[in-house]
Amino acid sequence: MRKVLVVGLVVVFLLGVVMGASAQKKKVSVLWAEYDGLTPDYAANLESAFEKEYPDIDLDIISTPWDKMHDRLIAFVAGKQPPDLSVIGTRWLLELLDMGVVEPIEKWVSKELLDNIDPALMEGKIKGVLYGLPVAAGTRLMYYRSDIIDKAPETFEEMLQIAQKINKPEEKFYAVGMSGKKYVELTEYAYYLFGNDGYFFEILPDGSYGKCTVNSEAGVGALTFMNDLVNTHKVTQPGVTAYRRDELQDLFISGNLGIFFSGGFTAALLEQRGAQFSWSVAPMPHFEGKPQSTIIITDSIVLFKDSQAKEEAGKFLDFFYSDPWRLEFDKLVGFPPVTKSLANDPAFQKPVYQVMIQQIPGAKGWPLMPEWPECNDIIWDNIVATFLGEKTPQKAMDDAAQEIDSIRGM
Amino acid sequence: MTLKRRPRLVKGKFWRTESAVAYLFMIPASVFLLVFMFYPIVYVILMSFFRVNKLGDLVSFFGWGNFRFMFDKPEFWQIILRSCLWTAIAVVVKTALGLVIALLLNVEFTGKKLARTLVIIPWASSVPISAMIWQWTYNSDFGLLNHTLRTLGIWKNPPIWLAEPRSAFMANLWVDIWCGIPFMALVFLAGLQAIPQELYEAAEVDGATSWNKFRYITLPLLSGVLTVATLLSTLWTFNDFNVIYVLTAGGPGTSTDILITYIYKYAFQYLRFGPAAAMAVITFGILLLVSIIYARSYFREGVL
Repeated sequence: MRKVLVVGLVVVFLLGVVMGASAQKKKVSVLWAEYDGLTPDYAANLESAFEKEYPDIDLDIISTPWDKMHDRLIAFVAGKQPPDLSVIGTRWLLELLDMGVVEPIEKWVSKELLDNIDPALMEGKIKGVLYGLPVAAGTRLMYYRSDIIDKAPETFEEMLQIAQKINKPEEKFYAVGMSGKKYVELTEYAYYLFGNDGYFFEILPDGSYGKCTVNSEAGVGALTFMNDLVNTHKVTQPGVTAYRRDELQDLFISGNLGIFFSGGFTAALLEQRGAQFSWSVAPMPHFEGKPQSTIIITDSIVLFKDSQAKEEAGKFLDFFYSDPWRLEFDKLVGFPPVTKSLANDPAFQKPVYQVMIQQIPGAKGWPLMPEWPECNDIIWDNIVATFLGEKTPQKAMDDAAQEIDSIRGM
Repeated sequence: MTLKRRPRLVKGKFWRTESAVAYLFMIPASVFLLVFMFYPIVYVILMSFFRVNKLGDLVSFFGWGNFRFMFDKPEFWQIILRSCLWTAIAVVVKTALGLVIALLLNVEFTGKKLARTLVIIPWASSVPISAMIWQWTYNSDFGLLNHTLRTLGIWKNPPIWLAEPRSAFMANLWVDIWCGIPFMALVFLAGLQAIPQELYEAAEVDGATSWNKFRYITLPLLSGVLTVATLLSTLWTFNDFNVIYVLTAGGPGTSTDILITYIYKYAFQYLRFGPAAAMAVITFGILLLVSIIYARSYFREGVL
């Protein structure tokens, strides 16, 4: 009995020493997005390498699937327990600023880091104050089966003609991938809307957003075309409302889709999974007579006001943005580099990067407004109603615009 | 007749009695309940009557404003109706199938222990994991369900389960039922095993048929267990978030949203804590009403 007591006391003492030692370390928590193509090893290696270089800092990388990022971050913030740093979709920045929880980031990172980032990618700069460093930025593009399609279509009308020739549903081969199930963002509609020279809102002279314009000729035209692909010409996979964007990606990688719109990460996944067919990339198509325009999506990393380890978080950012770690990150996620020092690296001279970069001048981003998550859902629900035959495209977009304007007090 | 006098309380004596020790032991649990149950409930009720900022802080008194905001939405009433339908169908089917399985497991046969173990599996598995597996099972092109239906010739063109509102609702319902049957079966089995065998033997001697035995012995003696089990199932099913969130996230559109998933969207996706709290209070009210009705029926039967 005495022996047990002594052993127990020794164990408790040792535990106390260990806990005490780790309690002296400054803890930095990072809410980390699981990009498609980014392997779990990357975050683990990053964490151990950083802690080796900074033994007095305890880094905690909290990996989260992208489609859960927003909800999880909001749960942390609403529970008054935000992480020190978080990867975010830059479109969420206005929402976080509205909540008053983000910290201007410039003074916590080195000048070398700031000078190494292309200013054009600093979407996280709001009214002259930098709140977020760009983590990933890229335009969306078209993937197609180059063994089946000789020449990539330049217009959506050409795409339809090709689709009608190659579609073979009896062999489970579908010409065009279309996602109707909610996943992260409303990218599917954005491709067709921007290709029709449309946008979600009118842009007022002072740069702010006016009324919702999804029910404009461009918006309704885009949805009509999408609905025709699904229900009239039937050149998409069946049951579009059951497919998320990531599931369409799997369908393309398994050889069941002819044309599919996605980001650079799909190219990384195609290589990682060893796709057994020839594929290629091309700029996003546009409607006849309209300018080519795709969506540019940027993700940022932000620092929270309540962080007790801002200096240490800044050290992590300097470490993460160093060339070796950024090179591996960019190669795995399939986005072009955000740092100038890697722009001419041979790894980024492949066609997928060239196409993403060439589309940047005409690309449009998401609306930056706090109400965007709710607006996104409203538009999506009405698109689904159209696919299901419950509403015409005009009625759907009229309803969406009306509800969105009502929420925004327009 | 002499009246008994109440003993005079001696100052400080209480803290030397066993009751005092009992109260001391209850303090941690009471603090836990206060902090993690009563405080959140009270705060949510407050939020429902206040304008709330995006951090969940109360801003200004709003009266019935949050409730009116939700009541004005036609979608809200559809979701209430769908939640009630979802609960009613799921509980009835879980109760019926659970009872059938319990009756079967109460009979002696070879492999009874293995059968009991297998029945527990859906309940023992994590609900989100089960829902993810079912999500793939329901896939129209590569899922096991449609492949089996086509291969066996049962259904040449089965539906794309998660693509249409009705089939998606049924698909969600089945997964919830599948996860909930084991609990009902085990509870009913425990209840069946508590029924004295002599009653069945006596009934047999009197010439009672199987149906008569079930109707006049099993059901009445199982009624207490049935009441409690269906009440618990009702409360859990009405608030079943996991299955719907994983399978369809309330889609296509909002066609499989029930109150709990709708509350989640308003609170954590749109950051509208006021309306979300109002819906939570409405949910609480509905379930409280159901519990009161059940409790009245339970105590009226004099089971306790």
